[in-house]
Amino acid sequence: VVTDATTQEPLPGVSILLKGTTQGTATDFDGNYVLQANLGDTLVFSYIGFQSKEVVVSGSSLSVVLLEDTTTLDEVVIIGYGTTTVKDATGSVSSVTTEDFNKGAIVSTDQLLTGKTAGVRITNNGGQPDSAPNIRIRGGSSLTANNSPLIVIDGIPVDNTNPAGVSNPLTLVNPNDVESFSILKDASATAIYGSRASNGVIIITTKKGLSGEFKFNFSTNTTVSKVGKKIDMMDGDTFARFIKEYHPDYTNYLGVDDPSTDAVDDSSTDAIEGRILYNTDWQDAIYRTAISFDHNLSARGSILKTVPIRMSLGYTESQGLVKTSDYERITGSLKLTPRLLDDHLKVDVNAKGIMSKKNAIDEGGALGGAVNMDPTKPVYDNSYGNLFGGYYQNVKIEEDDEYNITRLDGQWNPVALLMQRYRPERVQKLLANVELDYKMHFLPELRAVANVGIEASKSKIKEVYVDNSIATYQINDTEHESVFNEGVNYRENQDIVNRTFEGYLAYAKDLGGAINNFDVQAGYSYQNFKNDGNKEIYRYNLDTGVREVQPNEQNPTNRYFNELNLQSFFGRANINFYDRYLLTLSFRADGSSLFVKDNRWGYFPAAALAWKVKEESFLKDVDVVNNLKLRLGWGRTGQQDITGQVGFYPSVPLFEAGSATSQYLSGYALYSAINFNPDLTWEKAETYNAGLDFGLFKGNILSGSFDVYYRTTKDLLAFVPTAPGQSLGSSFAKNVGETESKGFEINFNVKALSQEKMALEFYGNTSYNRAEVTNLKDATYISAIESDIPTGTGVKLARHAVGYQPYSAWVFKQLYDAQGNPIHGAFADFNGDGVVDNDDRYYKALRPNWTFGFGFNFNYGKLDLSSSFRGQIGGQVYNSRRLSLGWVDKAIPNNSNSLSNVLDFYNGAADFNFVNVQGNVPFSDYFLEDASFLRCENIVLGYRLDDAVPNVSMRFYGALNNPFIITKYDGQDPENFNAIDNNFYPRPRSFTIGVNVDF
Amino acid sequence: DLDTQPEVELSLDELLDQDPNAVAGILSRLYASFALSGPDGAGSSDIDDNAGESPFLRGIINLQDFTADAIKNRWGDDGLDQLTTTSNWDENNKFFRYLYNRIYYTIPQANNLLLVLGAVDLDNKDQIEGEVRFIRALAYYYLIDCFGKGVLATEENYGTSEPLPEVDRQELFTYVENELLAAEELLPDTNEYGRANKSVARMLLAKLYMNAGVYTGTERFDDAATYISKIIDEGGYSLDADFVSIFSGDNFMSNEIIFPLIADSQNSQSYGNTTYIINGSLGTETMTLSQFGAEEGWSGHRATKAWYGLFNNGDLANSTDDRAALFWTEGHSYEMTDYKKWTDGYPSIKFRNTFYYSASNPTSFSSTDFPLFRLADAYLMYAECAVRGAAGASMSTALGYVNAVRNRSNAGSVAQSDLTLNFIMDERGRELNFEGHRRSDLIRFGKFTGNSYLWPWKGNTVNGTSIPDTYKLFPIPLTALEANINLTQNPGY
Repeated sequence: VVTDATTQEPLPGVSILLKGTTQGTATDFDGNYVLQANLGDTLVFSYIGFQSKEVVVSGSSLSVVLLEDTTTLDEVVIIGYGTTTVKDATGSVSSVTTEDFNKGAIVSTDQLLTGKTAGVRITNNGGQPDSAPNIRIRGGSSLTANNSPLIVIDGIPVDNTNPAGVSNPLTLVNPNDVESFSILKDASATAIYGSRASNGVIIITTKKGLSGEFKFNFSTNTTVSKVGKKIDMMDGDTFARFIKEYHPDYTNYLGVDDPSTDAVDDSSTDAIEGRILYNTDWQDAIYRTAISFDHNLSARGSILKTVPIRMSLGYTESQGLVKTSDYERITGSLKLTPRLLDDHLKVDVNAKGIMSKKNAIDEGGALGGAVNMDPTKPVYDNSYGNLFGGYYQNVKIEEDDEYNITRLDGQWNPVALLMQRYRPERVQKLLANVELDYKMHFLPELRAVANVGIEASKSKIKEVYVDNSIATYQINDTEHESVFNEGVNYRENQDIVNRTFEGYLAYAKDLGGAINNFDVQAGYSYQNFKNDGNKEIYRYNLDTGVREVQPNEQNPTNRYFNELNLQSFFGRANINFYDRYLLTLSFRADGSSLFVKDNRWGYFPAAALAWKVKEESFLKDVDVVNNLKLRLGWGRTGQQDITGQVGFYPSVPLFEAGSATSQYLSGYALYSAINFNPDLTWEKAETYNAGLDFGLFKGNILSGSFDVYYRTTKDLLAFVPTAPGQSLGSSFAKNVGETESKGFEINFNVKALSQEKMALEFYGNTSYNRAEVTNLKDATYISAIESDIPTGTGVKLARHAVGYQPYSAWVFKQLYDAQGNPIHGAFADFNGDGVVDNDDRYYKALRPNWTFGFGFNFNYGKLDLSSSFRGQIGGQVYNSRRLSLGWVDKAIPNNSNSLSNVLDFYNGAADFNFVNVQGNVPFSDYFLEDASFLRCENIVLGYRLDDAVPNVSMRFYGALNNPFIITKYDGQDPENFNAIDNNFYPRPRSFTIGVNVDF
Repeated sequence: DLDTQPEVELSLDELLDQDPNAVAGILSRLYASFALSGPDGAGSSDIDDNAGESPFLRGIINLQDFTADAIKNRWGDDGLDQLTTTSNWDENNKFFRYLYNRIYYTIPQANNLLLVLGAVDLDNKDQIEGEVRFIRALAYYYLIDCFGKGVLATEENYGTSEPLPEVDRQELFTYVENELLAAEELLPDTNEYGRANKSVARMLLAKLYMNAGVYTGTERFDDAATYISKIIDEGGYSLDADFVSIFSGDNFMSNEIIFPLIADSQNSQSYGNTTYIINGSLGTETMTLSQFGAEEGWSGHRATKAWYGLFNNGDLANSTDDRAALFWTEGHSYEMTDYKKWTDGYPSIKFRNTFYYSASNPTSFSSTDFPLFRLADAYLMYAECAVRGAAGASMSTALGYVNAVRNRSNAGSVAQSDLTLNFIMDERGRELNFEGHRRSDLIRFGKFTGNSYLWPWKGNTVNGTSIPDTYKLFPIPLTALEANINLTQNPGY
C-alpha cells in the first residue's frame, strides 16, 4: 500500500517504476499495487505533489509512505478564470493549502490564513465569535473606498455587502471545507478580475470528492476561552479613596443608601457615613469563561465509481467572552465533479448552505458600561421594591405634590443590558454554482466554459426584551406610574439575491517549437446584486409610555432596496516561448451601475513576463538550484465600491420621504433631496511588480519567493467634505487624487529535517509596505472619516495628507516635566510664533510598515507539534481609554447623580495632571503608543493513532490559541485596525482539545 | 441592466406623479432645516455631524446666547465650554462647524428647489419662489452675522465642481439685501402657519439693516425703520396679552409671533429645537420636570445675573415685572461662582412645554415653537432706530412701543427721557434674552468684545474680563478650509 505521510490516506494513481526499466504500474483507488520484481530491485515511487522515493524490494509486500512536497513545481495554482502551475505562474500568486492552515479554535475561514503569507494583513475587529476581518493585501490601494480584496469562492466572486446579521462574510464557509486559498497580489494576476481587483483577489477552493470508495472524516473539538487582559480600572476601595481625595463633594453618591440610618457623609472624616459600599469588578461581571464546540462530518468518494462527490455537515456553537454573546452555525456542503462525454465535459457542481444564529449584544453599552460603571455599586439588588428584575439600577425619585416619579439615572447596569435583551440574528444562506467546461469534440484544444452561480441569503433579526428590563422602563405621564415593555423592540427581514453568469472560450495549443505552447481566452461576466429588506421600528408612546410601532406613512414597511450591476468583457493570452519565457497579456472592460453612462466603463489591461532561468542551459544541470524564475508584471485595476458610504445610487438626483417624526409644515409630506455626484467614475490603480521564485539544494530544502512592487492609484474615490454650498450635504464621495505605494515581500520555507520518521519545517514571511499621498487635486489633506476619537462625534484624529502616509495622526507634541510626567495642555510650539495652534501639529503614521509571520511544523513518528506567530513592527495605536477614562473630572456626574469609574490613577494607568481633556488635549501624541507586537497565534500538539480500530485513523490534538503577546502597548490590544482603541471586544485566550477521525 | 432603478427613493418625476403637493413637501423640508436634524427622526442628520448637537436652532442658541451675557452652560463639553466662557476659540471647535455646515446644507437645498421650480408647472410658483429665496437669505444672514464671509452658492452656479471663490461680508450683504427685496415682492401678505410672508422678509431685512454698520461699516438705520414700520403697520400682528403664552407648548395660537420655528412632540422631533432650550434648562436636582411639561432634565443652562440683575437690581422677589418671575431661584444661588455647578445661577423658565390655554401632559420632545421673529422685537428695534436718530422713526411712537412691551409684563411705563441706547440694550435683554439675538445685539451696541461691558465668565474668569475684537466673528471651521482652498481663515484665528 502507498499512503500519504500526512493524512495516512492511501494514494491512488501513484506511478511505480522498476528502476532502470520501463516496466511499471500504478496504484488503484485503495493505494494497492502489483508489480513483478525481484528481491533487491529498486522501485521508484512518484506522484504529483509528493517527493519521489526509491525503495529496495525486500519482500513480497512493500508498503511505502510518500512525503508531500509542499513546494513542488507542478502544483496546481488557481488563478482567475483558470489554473496554472507554480512553475508557469507569471504573476505574484501565493497559495495556501490545508497543511499550512492555522489550527485550533477556528470559527471562520479567514482565521486559517492569518499570518500565513507575505503582504496579507488580516486584522479582525476583536474577539466576537463572528468578528469581521479587515483583510488588506499590500496595504490596500484606496483611501476610503472599499479596500478589501475580492473574494472568489469556487469560481463565484462574492458580494462585498454582508447580509444583515453577519459581520464576517467568511464565517459563511465552513473552514473545514476549504482546500486552498490562492492570493493574487499583483495587477498582472488580478487584472483579469478588473473592476473589483485593485485590492487583490483571494480565491477559495473547497474540497472535492475522490474517485473510489467512500472515506469519512469526523472531527470534533471543544474550546475554553478566557479574557486575556482587562482594562486597569479602579476597584471599589480605590475609587472611594479617589472620590474622597479629589471630589469630596460627591462622597454621598458612592455606593447605595444605607436604609438603616439617616446619616449623610461628612467628607471631613475618613469613614463614609450613611452609605453601603460594594466592590464590584464590572469587567468580571460582563465577561465569562466561554466554551465552544465544533463538530464536522464529511464524506468523500464516488457515486457508482464515476461521479466524485464530497458532502459535509458541520455544527459550531461558539460563546463569546462577553455574556450572552453566542453564536451558532450549521453548515452543509455538496460538491459533485463528474466527467462526462469521454471526459470532454467537466461538470463542477457546488452547493453550500448555512444557517447561523447570533445573539447580537449591545457591545458599546456592555463594554463601555463595564468600564464606566461605579465599582461601589452592586450588580444585583434583591431588596424589596426593586423594579428591575433583581438588577441594581441607579434611579432618581422626583417628588411632586401628588406623586413620586422614579426616573433612571446615570449609567445603565451593563449586566442587565446583556441579560435582559435577546436579539437573535438568524441568517440562511445558499451559495451554489454549476460550472460546465466542455472540450470540443471536433477541436479538443478549444474549451467553452460557463459558470452560473447564485448567492442568496435570508436574514431575520428580532430584538426582544424580557419583563422589567431597564432599557424599556417608561413613565405613563397621565397616570404617573411605571411602565415596563417586554417583548419585541425591533425586527428586520432581508433578502439578498446575487446572480452571476460567466462564460468564456479558451483555446490552448502545444506547438513544441519556438512558441512551445500558447492559450487564449475571451469571455463575458454578468453580476447582479440585489438587497431588499424591511424593518419594524418601535417607539414609546409619549403619553402612555407603551411601546408601539412607529408609523411611517410614506414607507410603511421601512423598506430599503439596493441593486448593483456589473458587466465585463475580458480576455487573456498566455504564450510560452522555448518553455523558458512566458508572456501573459490580459484585458478587461468593466461597467458599473454606480456611475452615469458616460463615466461607466473602465478599461483594465495587464501584461506579465516570466523567465524560467532554471531552464537555461547554464543552470539546467546545476543541482543546487531546483527552481529559479524571474517575473515581471504590469497592470491596471479598478475600484468602484463606495456603496458603504454613499449607497447604490450615488450619481443620480433622488428624493426621500421624511419619517413620521420628521414632518414640518402641517398638511404636507416632507421630502428631502439626497446628495449625489454625477461626476463619479472609476478609481484606477497601476502596479509594477518584479518577483523571484527560488528552490535551492537537494529536495528543495530552501525555497521561497521575493517580490517588489510599486503602485500608483489615480482618481481615488474618497468620502470627503464637499466644498461648502456646492452639494446637497456636507460630505460626499468624489474622485480626489493620487497615492503611491511601494513595498516588498519575502516568503521562505526551510525543510530542516526531512526523514520518514522525523520532519521539521520552518516557514516565514515578512513584508514592507509604505504608501504616500501624492496629490489631492484642490486640497492638501482630507480627514480620515474612520478616525473618530471618543470625545464627541466628528472629531477626527487622522488625515490623508499630501506627502505623508495615508491615515496619519495629526497631533501635537506633548511636553513632559523633569519627572517624565506629561504637562496637561502643554505642547511644542514648533514654529516658535508663541501660540500653539494647528500650525504646530505634525503627522505620525498609524499603520505599520512591517508585518511578519513565522512558524514551524515538527513531526516525529506519530507526534506532531506546530506553532505560528505573527506581528508587526511600527504603527501606532491611540489609547483612547486614557482620553475617555483617564482624567480626574471624568468621575463626577454631568447631568445625573451617578459617578463614573476611571482608570487607576494610583498605579499609573492614568495621570493626575489630566483634570479634563478639552481643546487641544485630545490631539496630544501622549495618547499615541507604539503598536509593535509579536503574537503567538497558536501552539498545537497532536498524536496520531492508526491501528486502535481497524481501518480507522485518529488524531488527537490540543491547541493553545493566542496564548501570549509581546508588546509595549499599555492598553488592551495593540492589534487594532483603525488604530483607535475604544470599547474593544477582547480577543480570547483559548485552549482547544479535539479529535479527527478518518474511516 | 447597468441602469439600476431605486425602489424606495424617488426621482423628481416619480415624486411629482405620486404627490401633487410634492413641491410644498420639499419646501417644508427647507423650513424644517432650521429646526430638525434630519429626515428620519431626532437621531438622523442631514449633515455629517451629530444629530443631537448640530441642528440649526441649537447652533443659534449656542453661538448667540451662550457666548453672550445672559446664559451659561455647565456641561463642560469640549467646544461648548469655550463658547460659554468666550475663550480659547479655534477652528477645531465643532460647534462652529455645526452651524456652518447647517448654513451650507440649507443653501444648496434651496438652490435645488429653485431649479426644480423652473421645471414644473404650479399655480403659486411665484410665492414658493419667494419663500425659497427668503429661506436661503435667512441661512446667508447667519453666515454674514457669525462668520463674515463665505462662498456665494446660487442656483446659477449650482452643480459646478470647481471650488467657488470667497466673497466678503459686503458682497454677501448686498446679495441678501437684493434677495430679500425680491422675496418681499413675491411673498403674500399672509401665509400658512410657519411659512414666510411679506412681514417675515421685512423683519429679516430690518435685522440686516440694523446691523449694517457692523456688517459693512455703513449704518442703515433709516432703512431699518422703514421696514419695521411696514411690519408694525401692515403686518396685522399684536402683542399677546401674557408674556408666558408666547413661550408655551400651544404658542402656535400667538398673534405676536411673526416667524416661528416649529416643534411638535410627535411630528417634529428634534434635540435641536426648543427641546434643547427647555430640557437643557431643567434639572431634577432642584426642579420638578412635570411642572414644565418635560420628561427629561439635562441640567445644562442657567441664566446669569447679567440677565436677572436687570430686574429690580436683582431683587426678583420684589419685582413687579412678570418677566422677573421666569427664573428658578429655589435651591440656586444668585452668583455664578462656578459655572459648572448646576446650583450656581438661576435656570430660565421662560420657555416651557406646558400649554398656556389648556392642560397638557409632559412629553420627551417639546411642542413649543421658537419665536425667531416676533412683534415685541420689532417694537424694540423701532425704538432703537428712533434713539439712533433714524429718519422716519419718531421718539414718541417709540415710547409707545416700548411701554406697550413693558406694560404687557407689568414692568411699568418709562418716560421718553429714559430712552437711551443703554436702556434699549437692557430692555432687549429683559424681553428677548434666550431668543437667539443677544450676541449680535451686544456687538451692535459695542459691548461684546473689549472691557466696556463685563459679565460672569466672559473671557473665562468669574467676574469677566476683556476679550479681543477678533471674537466678533467666529473662526471658519477647518473642514470648510479643507474642502475649498479659496476660503481663508478669519483674522486672529
